[in-house]
Amino acid sequence: MKPSRDDFVIAIRSAFLKKGNQQKFSLLSLILFSIIFLILGNYNFKIIKFNKAVIKEIIYYSSFIVNIPENSIKNSFIKVSDHYDHYDEYLIIKNKFQKLKSKDLEKKIITFENDELKKLMDDYYIEDGQTFAKVLIDKESPFLRSIIINKGSRNGVKAGMAVYDDIYLVGKVVEVNFVSSRVLLISDINSKVPITIQPLNVQGIMSGLDQRSGVLQYINKEELIKDESQKLIIVTSGIGGIFKSGIPIGEINLQDNLSDKKFVVNFYRNFSQLKYVKISSHIKENINIDQSNKKIFNKNNSQIAQINNQEQDIKVLKQQKIINEEVQLKLQSENTRLKKNLINTQKKLIESNKKINTNKVNSDDLEFLKLNLSHGHKCRKTLFRSQLFKVGTPEYRKCVLNKGPIINVKKN
Amino acid sequence: MNIVKSRFLYKYTPVFLLFTSILNEIDFNLQFKYFSFNFAYILIFYYSLKKEGGIGYILIFLAGLFNDVVNGLPMGISSLSYLLLCAAAAYLRNITLRPNLIRDWIFFLITILVLNFTTYTYLILFFNYEINYFDQMTNIIGTFLLYFIFSYIFAFYDDYILGKTN
Repeated sequence: MKPSRDDFVIAIRSAFLKKGNQQKFSLLSLILFSIIFLILGNYNFKIIKFNKAVIKEIIYYSSFIVNIPENSIKNSFIKVSDHYDHYDEYLIIKNKFQKLKSKDLEKKIITFENDELKKLMDDYYIEDGQTFAKVLIDKESPFLRSIIINKGSRNGVKAGMAVYDDIYLVGKVVEVNFVSSRVLLISDINSKVPITIQPLNVQGIMSGLDQRSGVLQYINKEELIKDESQKLIIVTSGIGGIFKSGIPIGEINLQDNLSDKKFVVNFYRNFSQLKYVKISSHIKENINIDQSNKKIFNKNNSQIAQINNQEQDIKVLKQQKIINEEVQLKLQSENTRLKKNLINTQKKLIESNKKINTNKVNSDDLEFLKLNLSHGHKCRKTLFRSQLFKVGTPEYRKCVLNKGPIINVKKN
Repeated sequence: MNIVKSRFLYKYTPVFLLFTSILNEIDFNLQFKYFSFNFAYILIFYYSLKKEGGIGYILIFLAGLFNDVVNGLPMGISSLSYLLLCAAAAYLRNITLRPNLIRDWIFFLITILVLNFTTYTYLILFFNYEINYFDQMTNIIGTFLLYFIFSYIFAFYDDYILGKTN
């Protein structure tokens, strides 16, 4: 027999409206109440906020109390296992300690250099407020990976403050109550941390993936896979101003990630083992830079500018010198060429002069011969004219050229 | 005296289990990558189906609120899910003449799929949550599979450890 429509309605009505033996509210009224709760939660009215904060405080601390037996069992187990592994760990730690000791000095120097450079870049943050807090609840939810800590607005905790485990980034404060706060872990999918991949200096965003790892987003993948053997370190980039730059987060082993091309960051810290965390906020140090320091900076800047200008001048002068040298070389070669030309010309001139002289002699002779034909008889010495000149003598020539003997007329 | 004690346990064991699972760090979202389950769903559905008013609606409502606060979800969303789960279980109880575990199991799957769908929709649309669907899927599958086992465990506890008090 098929159930009729009436049976369906009766079953639904019964489910939603029927109260049990000791039920004071029907299911429908409580569902409506839940919906009202949800809707009111969207509004930030003072009363709602206050009530929510009170409810949260009660629940956080009751949850902490409920957790005490479990935590004590867990801690005892950890203690026992710690004792059991004590000697092996001691040897490993001893070995590590020796290595770290040598690295420590190097790190101090690098840190100092880094601080100095950051000061110059005006990117130096100092710790504004620092609070240590105990983790009250560390509940792994499929929706939100977060922890509850026992410090709230009463202790100066504000939303957005960075949370650390030792020097490693854990998350940020997203909700603040009076004596408790919620920290969104960086392993949560909703957590977006601006990061820098060192030593490639590639910028990106890291989102949570699971308890021990995150995934990189918005990165230039080609730059990452240039050197596959490299171990890349992930630190905060400081972009956005929520976290200061250079907080270590984790590392990427490229060889593990090349197959699926999803760059997974292995966190340095296991967030399920958090007991105490450090909450701190940072401000830029330039507030603390006094006037004398500013003057020194300005003086240095002006000196640097002067040096830069001088360098520019020197560059120009050097270029001018090069040009001058080139011009000088050209002039020298021109000069040599001209000298050669001059010598050649002089030689030619001399030869020409010689030729001219020869030609002149020739023309004189020609003239003499011409005149000799017509006037030679006037100058030639004969028996009857002995006062004249013998042929071939200079006097004869002179006489011919004169077109006859020179007659001296005496003036009275 | 024994009857009183067993009745007390029969009445309050599910409540104790529910609140412990919600407030406690043993939260069944285990550290495994591909396995987790929602113990509260199994508990509420089972006891709402098998016992009318097994866990009081108000207590379920409060448990939902506690769960929201502890998990950092918008307050009221888990209460709504739990109460809708109760409603589904109550409906199934009303239309069932001869209980059948397989049918309950399939009905449970459909119910948690619908409930999770509404929860995710609400979280995404109104609260801009980003959800890892793979984790949610494993959670749903884990919850569905373990209902079968837990229903036997609860039945065994009720029948053999406490005795058939009802």
